[in-house]
Amino acid sequence: MADESLFDFLHMEIVSHIYKEQQSSKGEMDNKDRAVCVSVLESMGFRVGQGLIERLTRDSPSFKDELDVMKFVCKEFWTKVFRRQVDNLRTNHQGTYVLQDNKFSLLTQLSSGKQYLDQAPKYLAFSCGVVRGALSNLGMDSVVTAEVSVMPSCKFQVVVQKL
Amino acid sequence: MTVHNLYIFDRNGSCLYYNEWNRKKQAGISKDEEFKLMYGMLFSIRSFVSKMSPLDMKEGFLSFQTSKYRLHYYETPSGLRFILNTDLSVSNARDTLQSIYSSLYVEYVVKNPVCVLGQSLDSELFSSRLDAFIKALPYYSPRAA
Repeated sequence: MADESLFDFLHMEIVSHIYKEQQSSKGEMDNKDRAVCVSVLESMGFRVGQGLIERLTRDSPSFKDELDVMKFVCKEFWTKVFRRQVDNLRTNHQGTYVLQDNKFSLLTQLSSGKQYLDQAPKYLAFSCGVVRGALSNLGMDSVVTAEVSVMPSCKFQVVVQKL
Repeated sequence: MTVHNLYIFDRNGSCLYYNEWNRKKQAGISKDEEFKLMYGMLFSIRSFVSKMSPLDMKEGFLSFQTSKYRLHYYETPSGLRFILNTDLSVSNARDTLQSIYSSLYVEYVVKNPVCVLGQSLDSELFSSRLDAFIKALPYYSPRAA
């Protein structure tokens, strides 16, 4: 794998570029603008996640069920993309999964506590998209959201959409 | 054996960070003036040292000492200046300053998307790690010698 800082710096700049673009058209950002930025980042991540999962699963056998897919995402996929494994996976066995990462690699340099908490969602949008893209290429349509209460630990909630 | 205070300046002269651990006497001027004085004086010392050097110089100005304290100076290739005041028992703090730069500044400030380069640092993560680093130095003690 290449040097980790390469992606870290690029991601920082992608986020700041998108927010600056949105801001330059008007004077200040309102909630609608923020939502646009988040959805742009998320759709970028979606396409990246789709491609990554093709590459990472080309040698593995097909998965037994949803839970197996989620376990693969938590272990191998998370290791390749975020350099560690998910610490905690919870599910209600009815399509909702919560993945908890206590040292999320894109948040560790921000703070270790409450400072900059309001800025955290900006840096999680891309990763939510990556997870959603990966799952969609494995056959699971889902909605992925992330929440942070204490940095750098964060929880990704995956809700699988049944057709 | 102790560390008195630490300044970090960027290449334009603005003070990015200042912290003190063991300072008994203040300078008697406002903090802004103190930073400007520190930066300006060191700028002049550096150019004086390189001009008057009888040999070809590699690093240039490294430190100065008085009867009570020693000031150590480290400048990164990117123009960041780290200034550490310690007592006289510390002869060379260059390695310390270099590891402050590489393992603390680069990790927690450059890689922090919220910290804008050139503005003063208010990342609590950086402050707390720096504090822990300084307190873990072999030559640090809470009371001045």
